[in-house]
Amino acid sequence: MSVESLSGPTDLSDREREAVELLLRRMADDEFVLADRYTEWQVRAPTIESDIAIANIAQDELGHARLWYDLLEDFGYTEPDLIWERDPETFRHSTLVELPFAEGDWADCIVRSYFYDEAEHLQLHALADSSYPRIRDRVEKVLGEEDYHREHAVNWLRRLVSSDEGRRRVQEATDRLFPHALTLFEPARDAADAEAVIDELGVRTRTLADMRAEWLETVTETMTDVGIDLRPPAVSDDGSVDADALPDHLGRDGDHTEHWRVLFDDFTGAYREMELHEATRFMKDPDDE
Amino acid sequence: MIWEVFRQDKKGDYHQHCGNVHAPDREMALMFAQIQHARRKPTNSIWVVPKDEISEVDAEHAKFGGTTDKSYRWAMTFNVGAVAEEVADSETEQVEAEKNRGES
Repeated sequence: MSVESLSGPTDLSDREREAVELLLRRMADDEFVLADRYTEWQVRAPTIESDIAIANIAQDELGHARLWYDLLEDFGYTEPDLIWERDPETFRHSTLVELPFAEGDWADCIVRSYFYDEAEHLQLHALADSSYPRIRDRVEKVLGEEDYHREHAVNWLRRLVSSDEGRRRVQEATDRLFPHALTLFEPARDAADAEAVIDELGVRTRTLADMRAEWLETVTETMTDVGIDLRPPAVSDDGSVDADALPDHLGRDGDHTEHWRVLFDDFTGAYREMELHEATRFMKDPDDE
Repeated sequence: MIWEVFRQDKKGDYHQHCGNVHAPDREMALMFAQIQHARRKPTNSIWVVPKDEISEVDAEHAKFGGTTDKSYRWAMTFNVGAVAEEVADSETEQVEAEKNRGES
């Protein structure tokens, strides 16, 4: 699908800018919050090897968040505006990434990353021909690291289900996380116009509903294949899923579970306690790499 | 199960032993080895080998190189005066040839 290229960050109309900004915030917040959750497995993963692997995946996701937040800085925001001093109610990540892990449950971590990485894979491919050049130029870099993430999740899934205990845990994690995973493709209901403009201008070349349909097919097939019961929800003609299948809080519109505030206070704790007013920069700007 | 990991910097280089990983099977071993041994170093290829499949004989049980003086076998023994340059050139040529063999 070929789309007309948008201009650089400083020449966008308000309407275009709102759409690009919404898309970037959805992606950046997902990556950042998920990375933060993953780091909870540091020194707690089942083996030293799995510990190192998940820590590296967390680093990758953090790196991707950095690429997307950096594009938001084009619009004049600073890092404290985007993360450290931001109103937690304005974060747009899916509730899948903010939930605490069930204590000691590695299956939770694996099922979550599987749902997420399949979704990220689809989204990145839908951005490869984005009409916004700044996004388009960074997709390849991110995609290069995503294959390993999916491989990691699937390899673990297959092995976890090989024992009764493992299969029970994967099933429980699936039941618990699946409704939240559906919000990965929920539009921001408080910004319906901007969501429509994303599609209209080709900032992303596939609609959320279209990507969700493929995602549902893929994850249902994988889960069924490993002996896990996953029943996809009813999808209407317009691509929306039955409200009963969704969790109470969707995340995308800033409405989060009670766990989000705890996590936000936790990762901004040091910034507040040290009375910082700007973020410490120790890496070059991604444009200069 | 322990898998020994061998990393190759670039095509044509030898794979060099760089450590090991614990993994239940080959696929997982390759997956862990990638992250553990190839993420921060330039890498062209990784091998994993079950530790049990490696056979060893060490200095305690073998007299490597024998027990008598065989220093005459070192080319550097002849490395004197005008000849040295020739020997050095020849050595360089051989190193170069070996490298090219590996890369082709």
